[in-house]
Amino acid sequence: MLSLQSARIVGGEFIGLQNFVTLAEDPVFRQALGNTVLYSLVVVAAQLTLALVVASLIQPLGPRSRTFYRALFYLPLVNSAILIAMVWRWIFNANPYGLANTVLGAFRLEPLLWIGSSDQALAAVILSAVLTIPGGGVVLYSAAMSSLPRELYEAAEVEGAGALTKWWYITVPLLKPTTLYLLVIYTILAFQVFERVYVMTNGGGPNNATITIVQLIYSTAFQFGRYGLASAMAVVLFIMAVAVAVVQFRSLRSDVEY
Amino acid sequence: MEREDGVKIDRRRFLQALAAIGVATACGPAAAPGSASASPAPSAAAKAVSLEWWRRNYTPGSQNAETVTSDGAVKGFRARNPSYTISIQGGPFGPETDQKFDIAILQQKAGPDVFHTTGGDVLKYAAAGQLSEPPLTAAERSDFNPSALTATTYKGKVVAYPLWIVPWFEYINLDLFKERGVTPPKDGNWTYEEFLDAAKKLTFKRADGKQIYGFAHANDEFAFMLIDGGRLYDKDVRKWTFNSAEAVSGLERWVALAKEKVMPPDFLTLNPNDSQARFISGEIAILQRPSAMINVLNADAKWKYGTNWDIANFPKGKTEQTAWGGVGFIAVREQTDADKKAAAHVFAKYLTGPDIGPDLKAMTPPIEYWLAPAARTSAAGIYGEYHAAKAKVAKMGSFTYVLPNVSTWSEIDQKYLRPARDAALEGKKTAKQALDEVAPTAQRLLDEANK
Repeated sequence: MLSLQSARIVGGEFIGLQNFVTLAEDPVFRQALGNTVLYSLVVVAAQLTLALVVASLIQPLGPRSRTFYRALFYLPLVNSAILIAMVWRWIFNANPYGLANTVLGAFRLEPLLWIGSSDQALAAVILSAVLTIPGGGVVLYSAAMSSLPRELYEAAEVEGAGALTKWWYITVPLLKPTTLYLLVIYTILAFQVFERVYVMTNGGGPNNATITIVQLIYSTAFQFGRYGLASAMAVVLFIMAVAVAVVQFRSLRSDVEY
Repeated sequence: MEREDGVKIDRRRFLQALAAIGVATACGPAAAPGSASASPAPSAAAKAVSLEWWRRNYTPGSQNAETVTSDGAVKGFRARNPSYTISIQGGPFGPETDQKFDIAILQQKAGPDVFHTTGGDVLKYAAAGQLSEPPLTAAERSDFNPSALTATTYKGKVVAYPLWIVPWFEYINLDLFKERGVTPPKDGNWTYEEFLDAAKKLTFKRADGKQIYGFAHANDEFAFMLIDGGRLYDKDVRKWTFNSAEAVSGLERWVALAKEKVMPPDFLTLNPNDSQARFISGEIAILQRPSAMINVLNADAKWKYGTNWDIANFPKGKTEQTAWGGVGFIAVREQTDADKKAAAHVFAKYLTGPDIGPDLKAMTPPIEYWLAPAARTSAAGIYGEYHAAKAKVAKMGSFTYVLPNVSTWSEIDQKYLRPARDAALEGKKTAKQALDEVAPTAQRLLDEANK
């Protein structure tokens, strides 16, 4: 209801769809929308791929090693997201002593501005998410792989299939239910990106290059006091998440049984 | 739904209030109310009154400046007015505490009797009729800094007590000036050209590979846009004027610093703590920060005032000497309890007046009450007595530009002006293009604030 009102901390009146019209005309919201979509596309694709690859590499190991690596990859998730974002802020610092620039320097490459430039900041934020191995996905994929029927692999081996062929034609298709679950969850999480931007680029800078929808909802509600407008943004985000989830369900819905 | 006092609350309003309280509670750590002093029996002469004072960053038992000065203030006040009891409520700096203030004052019409506040909030609370007008005499009015008094004026009425003016200025690392053979500005005065020349000479790489930068700011002020006479609004705060030729010229001076690469490469995202840390580690020769950093440097044994560091004014542009600053206020909440309201004004006058400084200085150990120069002439002297650097800062109030109160300022600033400024500093737009693009939106938001 708030999204249909000009609500502030006190008062507010019904204004119909005016908040949504305001959003459509607001270049900063459009930029936040574009940044959020781009971030989600790249990060979700990368995280799913990474989780699948890492889980596949863990799978052939013995039970103890598998448990060790699952725990190892899951461990960063128990850290504070703010803390992790602060580490990434240092890694992508524009000064030569930032870790990313130190690495570039080791290869005799010129330092980059990373989060200090509106051209590179969003890429740095996306890279920070991509380079964080998705521990939850690794554990879920790994658990799902453990329950895949051995007979299918044995039959493929009899037919002369190699490791990569078995992975591509047996493992990946049979993991579709897990992939669908992770896809929906990771997409929603990516749409909600906030703390990474809040810490790494002081909330969307420079020049609004890294502003995202949730960051804009936060500042619109709690810094500008426009609760109605912030609610309208939240409604847009909700509709986006639902629409994408529906498409994902329809395209990946599987009748696979094993 | 009907309250006992006959005020009707509809279900929608009730649910909105409940949701807002829920959001604020979820977002903010609970602030533990703390009693600042024991409450002895009030004197027979005056009626006993109990007041609640809300002070951001007050944490009972902590040694932070807000807690120490607040406890001292209550002690000093009660020594003069033993029949009054003051309890202090805290809360961290940040939006969650701002929400707590808003919900209490604007929705519940309850909460603090006296509270600290800043620019935009004064206007917001005044517009909602929640501030009690200070009963100032003509002599008291003329005692306040005029720009500070203007900043707390709403519809022609002064609605809160200006407490202090916090100026921004330049901290200079004298060791680096000496190392590079640069003469520090005489009496802290320099032109922009002299400043730029010094910043260029102070930007260098040592033989060990350590890079030193001539100048840095914490990305939180518009100092350079003011030095050629640019101002955000016209005199009546009705027209957005920050795309005037003077403002454009000021921004061009700022852009020149970026072009000359005298600032660290992350200057667009440098936050205050990092900038201070880098100044202290000797990586930055000139740092633009407010007066609170004086105490930070004083607390560090390696930094001796006059030997290792000094302060200087903003570089002077085409007009008279200018500085950028903010104002803190003490406000009294409007309420029906006349005794409480009167007592709250007595307390607010004490907090902003000339007696509190000497009272706290006489305590054991002495407490430095004024964290920034007082906004009242009669209270201004003691700030300079705390430290030689503060004596210089105390003189800056006369040329410090204080931002007038506009309730939509944070939206203008964060959503539109800062990104435009970033674009100019990155060289993606000219200063004029950047400021011209902001002007229509800023004017619309200014009009909205003036409605």
